Amino acid sequence: MIDVVQNTLDGVMIGSSYALLALGFTLIFGVMRRLNLSYGPTIMLGAYLGTLLYVQGGAGPATVAAATVLGAAVVGVYVERLCFAPMAAGAGIASMVSSFAIWMQLEQAAILILPRHTYAFPPLTTAAPLTLGPFLVRLDHAAMLAAAAALAAAVHLVLHRTRFGLGLRAIVGNATAAHLVGIDVRLSTLAAFALASAVGGAAGYLVLTVDQQVTPMFGMWATFKGLIAMMLGGLGSIPGALAGGLVLGVIEAQAQWYFGPQIRDFLTFAVLFLVLVVRPTGLMGEAPSADAAAPGRA
Amino acid sequence: MDDHLIGVLSNIGVMSFLALSAYLLLLTGEISFGQQAFFAIGAYAAGIRTALWGWPLFAALAWGAFAGALAAVLVGLPTLRLHKLYFAIATLAFAEMVRILFEMWRYQVSIDGELVGPNGADGFRGIRSVFESNIDPVQYLALIYGLLAATLAGFVWLERSRLGVTFRMIGQDAELAELGGIAVRRCKVLAASLAGALAGIGGGLYAHLTTYVEPRIFDVMLGVHSLAYGLIGGLGTAIGPILGVVLDIGILETVRVFAGYRMIVFGGLVAILLIWCPRGLLDEKAMHGMHMRLWPRRSFRTPPSAVETSP
Amino acid sequence: MLEVSDVVTVYGKIEALKGVSLTVESGGITCLLGPNGAGKTTLMMTIAGILRPRRGSIRFDSAELVGSTPAQIVSRGIALVPENRLVFPQMSVRENLAAGAYQRSDTGGIAGDMERLYERFPRLRERREQLAGTLSGGEQQMLAVARALMCRPRLLLMDEPSLGLAPIVVDEIFRIIAELNRDGTTIFLVEQNAYKALQVAQRFYLMEQGRVTFSGTPGQLAEDEVIQRAYLGARRAAG
Repeated sequence: MIDVVQNTLDGVMIGSSYALLALGFTLIFGVMRRLNLSYGPTIMLGAYLGTLLYVQGGAGPATVAAATVLGAAVVGVYVERLCFAPMAAGAGIASMVSSFAIWMQLEQAAILILPRHTYAFPPLTTAAPLTLGPFLVRLDHAAMLAAAAALAAAVHLVLHRTRFGLGLRAIVGNATAAHLVGIDVRLSTLAAFALASAVGGAAGYLVLTVDQQVTPMFGMWATFKGLIAMMLGGLGSIPGALAGGLVLGVIEAQAQWYFGPQIRDFLTFAVLFLVLVVRPTGLMGEAPSADAAAPGRA
Repeated sequence: MDDHLIGVLSNIGVMSFLALSAYLLLLTGEISFGQQAFFAIGAYAAGIRTALWGWPLFAALAWGAFAGALAAVLVGLPTLRLHKLYFAIATLAFAEMVRILFEMWRYQVSIDGELVGPNGADGFRGIRSVFESNIDPVQYLALIYGLLAATLAGFVWLERSRLGVTFRMIGQDAELAELGGIAVRRCKVLAASLAGALAGIGGGLYAHLTTYVEPRIFDVMLGVHSLAYGLIGGLGTAIGPILGVVLDIGILETVRVFAGYRMIVFGGLVAILLIWCPRGLLDEKAMHGMHMRLWPRRSFRTPPSAVETSP
Repeated sequence: MLEVSDVVTVYGKIEALKGVSLTVESGGITCLLGPNGAGKTTLMMTIAGILRPRRGSIRFDSAELVGSTPAQIVSRGIALVPENRLVFPQMSVRENLAAGAYQRSDTGGIAGDMERLYERFPRLRERREQLAGTLSGGEQQMLAVARALMCRPRLLLMDEPSLGLAPIVVDEIFRIIAELNRDGTTIFLVEQNAYKALQVAQRFYLMEQGRVTFSGTPGQLAEDEVIQRAYLGARRAAG
């Protein structure tokens, strides 16, 4: 019983990063109605910039964080301009395949910048874990949870209390009507992409401060986590993305404890598959409209 | 013919099956990120038959195709009724599940004092049936392309047949097709099973080409690649995906100048290409134009795809 | 006020507008009639900038609109109430109205306008925190009109405002249209319900298969049997 609770605690904390990853993914999907396969690699390049500053310049955690977030945002803009903006409404798969091609491009770019397999990433804190009764709480995990919560709240504020956020929600609600009320949809979409990538960058930063190392595999890993969490929570729903991330974290923590890493990964995908077959809209999502990325459809 | 060239051509041939597999599903409008799972299943199934059970190559390949088709049907039945996006992600999930299963699965049999068979993450070594039958690389190459040619003939027949037109109709507007009396779900499952079989054959050929497979190879990268081949080469004809494979493997192999920058250049080129040709080089429009020029009076049975560039 | 000259718009592979020319005079209500598929919505979408014409020109007070983005066209003072309302379903009534004022920065003016619109559409005030997707058809139509008015347009385009609404609601919509016009907004109205439209319009155009085939005043229409039979048909009995 204690294990279950401990795992849930750990799971919720790691899950908070997954929630942020899912949040970024959802922002992009909500606005573009397409999957961005370059999402993880975008974050990875930001992280590589951060680690470069750390390893070669001895930069502190704040600088590394800023570099990761800004780096991710800049790369995100690059991806948007190349893979999404120029594509016509019916070219959903072309966008996805294009984002895949850029994924490979970004991965190779990362390897060129930092050729070794692993690089150190500065931790947020090296203090000893807290003991709460029979449970152990790692401080870096707790910091991750707190930061993720703050960031999610900030995104919520942006979406619900700013004009820009109103515009984004309008585009998500009905893209044509958004044009008709005078929103510059192209510009807002670009900004949304940058924001989503920045959020992803923050999520990536938080995860990496716990792992304390970054590898080229991080890109694909981040894309998967964001995608799965988003699908679990429900496509296109922001509260869903957050819930999905937490649920994913808990599932992984429990599975890892009882069955080990391989079964953990298997279960993660199995749960995703089951959710898609049984309740595709996930925990809190809405059914996708006909204009979601599909070949041959306008 | 030098060994390296034979190797590259064999690779192209084998990958073409995978590309055609994803392409077939795309015709019906379904995006699959998971054809590599059936490729893997075909590879392991065929490999086990020859290496462990001593079957002849062709029988093993057929078995691999069957295994691929069966798996595709089992996965397709619950998932093809979903919205396209959900289906795409479901294929991704399924493929990863298969890959992880292969990483955990050990099935080894002692043959002549040696352990042969899939060994989890270490892979499946010793699929040496081709060497033991004294088939040299050139002959194997001919085998691969023989099968590929037969497959292409099948596609040519498909494009002209009612079934092929049905597939494309479903791909353009499934709802409309349903209203027109087409059993959309059944057709999609059929397409999925054929695609699974194709990937399965490819997998079997691959296993016997390299004599060694490991689960790591059958990852998402491979899956998205198989989709990308069709998107690059063109979705208007079965030659399209093969062209995509040729461009990817062929050009990357020969232009060694780029070395460490290969993916950066290639990735960028693909992205730019897709801006101009979102359905690939040999897309429906290009094929229609070609047909009109070559056979101006013969009627063109496949309906041209109106790639709607609405606002 | 608005001059459409020889506009050709292609939609997919179909030439939806084959050279449309018409004029909307300032101050009145002009209506565009015609059967389904004539291209009326395509014309509205072209004026609003959602669709781009292949040829032709659209001038608003002598300024050329073709080539402008939809957002730019809104900033010039044209707002479209689209076919099927297209409200933002997951946003509240109030937020929908706020979105309508997206380009404005005068918070005091925006609040004042919202208040006035609540006066004109009391049902919207009642439901102002309700999600727009849960409103009835008639209420959504009113919301769509109110939202378009939030940008203080000089020309209001309306595409089939009565579509799918009960007769009593249709009457209310048309009452509002007449009211808006009296208060100074020029209106260009597309309608299937020719009978109601001709009751409020000063001028009308008839579109068939991508072209304008007839134009005139409602009085003229009554005299032309052919047109009456073809387009007003059974509705004439209701008149």
